[in-house]
Amino acid sequence: MLGIYRGLLRFYPAAHRKQFGAEMAVVFRDLEADAATCGRFAQAIFRLHEITGLLTGAVREHVRAFGGDRDWLPLPIRSFTMHSEFRFPKSTPVLMTMILAGIIVAIEKGKAIQASLPDLNPPIGPIQPPHHAFLPSIVLALVIFYAAGLIGWGILYALRRSGVHRLDETPAIGK
Amino acid sequence: MTSMGGGGNMALDDMSSEIIMETLPLSEPVLLILLSLADRSRHGYAILKDVEGMSDGRVVLSTGTLYGALRRLLDDEWIERLEEEDSSRGRQAYRLTPRGRKSLQLEVSRMKHLTRVANLRVAARGNS
Repeated sequence: MLGIYRGLLRFYPAAHRKQFGAEMAVVFRDLEADAATCGRFAQAIFRLHEITGLLTGAVREHVRAFGGDRDWLPLPIRSFTMHSEFRFPKSTPVLMTMILAGIIVAIEKGKAIQASLPDLNPPIGPIQPPHHAFLPSIVLALVIFYAAGLIGWGILYALRRSGVHRLDETPAIGK
Repeated sequence: MTSMGGGGNMALDDMSSEIIMETLPLSEPVLLILLSLADRSRHGYAILKDVEGMSDGRVVLSTGTLYGALRRLLDDEWIERLEEEDSSRGRQAYRLTPRGRKSLQLEVSRMKHLTRVANLRVAARGNS
């Protein structure tokens, strides 16, 4: 798991990674050792909690590096920074669903605008706005979205079961 | 330990309380991190455990959240980084700067005032 954690650290800006990367990995290793004494479910929750916090933190650091800070974001960032007893923030699925729906609406609007333009390319022909496929496409996207999440979770669980994380603890040959 | 930060020698006279007040109220994680560093310097792991203990397990910070907050506090010179003589294990300790301690005192004072007012209002409601 430490290898995965170090891999996810690559999502952070280079400056942050250089300043805190090694230290974060050490702290994570200590926390993981603590979690190892708990049950399997608690360990899974711990990993999800860490991965979520890591990815959220990476996004936040990139936003800051881009020239801003959390103040201009239209999202309640503080609700992401507080995790009560390892529980996943309840607002996350709602917000992610809203964002996904917004993207799909934007795509459909774009298609409608494209279809309303004069026919500049006769061989292809005008594209009709697919109103009939609007709701099914949202449902299909949501299904794919949540299936991808489940697959990701399954991969992490399978990796843990396979013991691949112990490879990180194997001393290098020649050392 | 040797100090690596530059904010520790800043004269408090140069610092305006009004500027600090603009950053208040602090978020709960930041407040707990500052409280954790109020009595002594701590490493990241010790901060996480102390925050969890102070909040009775209610606030459990991830490492990503902790180091995001530490980075902001370092940038604002509310905390400073210490380099221990034995830093081979990659551990770094942090401690409050005078500016950070002043900010924490202002936040605690603000909360005391709020609690006092709330107690008075609740008591008045109970007596009526």
